[in-house]
Amino acid sequence: MKFRAKISSKGFIEVFIQLSGTVAKLAKVCVLRVCPDKLCFSSAGSTPVRADRLWCEVGRGALFRQFHMEGVSEELNEIYLELTSEHLFRAVKNARNAASLKLQLTKKRRPCLTVAVELASCTGHTRVVVHDLPVRVLPRILWKDCLKPRVRACDVSVYLPALKTLKSIVEKMANMGDYMLVEANRNGQMNLSIETDTVSIKSYFKNLGNPPESTLATPQNRDQERMVQVWVDKRKLLQFFEGQQINPTMAVCNILSNTLLHLVLVHEDVSIQYSIPAS
Amino acid sequence: MLKCGMSGSQVKVFGKAIQALSRVSDELWLDPSEKGLALRSVNSSRSAYGCILFSPVFFQHYQWSASVKINDKDTTFNLNCKLGMKSILPIFRCPNSLERNVEKCKIFTRSEKCKVVIQFFCRYGIKRTHNICFQESQPLQVIFEKNMCSNTLMIQPRLLAEAVVLFTSNQEEVTLAVTPLNFCLKSSSEESMDLTNSVYSEMFVGPDEFDYFQIGVDTEITFCFKELKGMLTFSEATHAPISIHFDFPGKPLALSIDDMLLEANFILATLADEPSRASSPQSLCLSQKQKRSDVMQSNSKADEKVTSQALECLSRKAAPKRLYPEETSTNISVAANHGSPVMKRTAGDISKVPESGVSDTEEVFRSPYLRKFSCMFFGAVSSDQQEHFNHSLDSLTRASDSDEDMNNGSFSTF
Repeated sequence: MKFRAKISSKGFIEVFIQLSGTVAKLAKVCVLRVCPDKLCFSSAGSTPVRADRLWCEVGRGALFRQFHMEGVSEELNEIYLELTSEHLFRAVKNARNAASLKLQLTKKRRPCLTVAVELASCTGHTRVVVHDLPVRVLPRILWKDCLKPRVRACDVSVYLPALKTLKSIVEKMANMGDYMLVEANRNGQMNLSIETDTVSIKSYFKNLGNPPESTLATPQNRDQERMVQVWVDKRKLLQFFEGQQINPTMAVCNILSNTLLHLVLVHEDVSIQYSIPAS
Repeated sequence: MLKCGMSGSQVKVFGKAIQALSRVSDELWLDPSEKGLALRSVNSSRSAYGCILFSPVFFQHYQWSASVKINDKDTTFNLNCKLGMKSILPIFRCPNSLERNVEKCKIFTRSEKCKVVIQFFCRYGIKRTHNICFQESQPLQVIFEKNMCSNTLMIQPRLLAEAVVLFTSNQEEVTLAVTPLNFCLKSSSEESMDLTNSVYSEMFVGPDEFDYFQIGVDTEITFCFKELKGMLTFSEATHAPISIHFDFPGKPLALSIDDMLLEANFILATLADEPSRASSPQSLCLSQKQKRSDVMQSNSKADEKVTSQALECLSRKAAPKRLYPEETSTNISVAANHGSPVMKRTAGDISKVPESGVSDTEEVFRSPYLRKFSCMFFGAVSSDQQEHFNHSLDSLTRASDSDEDMNNGSFSTF
């Protein structure tokens, strides 16, 4: 089994740092699935149906200048690694101004994901910092638990407003109450509300636009104005938005009435999906 | 009696000094003398010591007089002032905003009431006064010959800060490995071996990034990370390069900043990986004694103030344990090198240091290697010896001019 990848561009390193930050916030232990054409980060193992799930995909050509892998075998050309997400984030978070970031699967007393950051120091010299992150290579029998979650049909799908705005509003509202109501309709409108005994706050977003209907399963109710709702744990929502610094090229929110909130962010060849079940 | 005044920007540096020392310990000694105002701090396990000495020219005005008690003979007193960090740290909480708002700061002592008074004269005519009670306690000092170390490095604080930021905060210990061609900072291998879920990090820095790089002996030393960070934040405020002096594992490591206005020294114990030898503390003490006598006769640009003749050697017996200050102290034995009566008196003073044996309740870390921690040499400034002390200081400062002063006081015991 071999894996070696290198990012050489500053902008791409930023994206990777942000991605690992998001993963660290949403999944304490994550599974890194190395495929010939991409890397996938997901919440670890078999999660119960009612738990939130994270799925990130990074296309090989998206960030990496060099990418080489050899899987478990010819037929099963993939590697599944389980690691503590915080370790990865800490190793890369100071690599903002690095000249390059290299990931490699190594064996040093135990299997490790080695992160090598090449920094240009203030004196003009380069310096290499190496971190060996302990990983667990998952046996094939556990692979089925780490597959990409099936896209469930949803009742409504709407584009999200600017993440920065959304983030600051969610942050301010999250000071009250534990659960947030997210609702949207097919008219490009989305509302966020939070309620306690003494106060209730509602934020209205208009003219957001909806993705083309063909991507959705045929809905039963064609009423444009009807709001589809779901209540979610505000902490999870907050954590999702917290790490997002880079504006995605596409941000979509899918709601399955009173069941599921599914957020999708796409930035070129990098995608992040996060499903929060209703609480 | 201490009386000094500072401007806003000086208060900022003073506040940062206190913050740096707060990383070492919960207590701070305020130790004024003719040389200036020294802030000292020792951690509970005696494995880290910090001292920041502000010279009189740092202040806008600085007045120090040892109070004279009218007795049958005139005795002079040291301030012997120990403050809790909890009392003094909040006063200097935001050094940056202090710099902006404070026009003048006055610090003076009221020895008869055991109080230190800190007054801030701020903008818009606001005056803030803090009265802090202090505990009477002799400051401890570490005697450490920086210049005798075979390895010396000097580096800009920014560079070291870049390095330090890379290590995760839950790593208590770091290992420094040097050869004449190489400098490597890495996670302590002991830690990464025990915990299967810890990250091992290492960083190489080329010798040409240092202002001064002199390695006499290839070595790998391990020390506690927390105090290093404290020193770094302070050094960034002073913009002066940091010197690192060290030798072999077991011998303490010194980090120091030498500026015209202040001198900061952090002495950290390092892990020794030789099997314990009961004789080694003594031998180290003895070798220090020779170095001490060199110091006496040399120019008084001694890095550590040699305060009293009574040099105690505090050593830990070979109980394998970590450097964490939270741990209870192990068997600290006070080994007196000299039989002079002066020594014994000070020995009595040092007895404040807990001399508990290795207790059952203490956590003993099971490790395949026997580890012994380095010696720290402490000299106490005892009021009983103030007389001798002042004379000896005078003789130190004039040592380069004339040698006959060496015969004053009780230095003959050496």
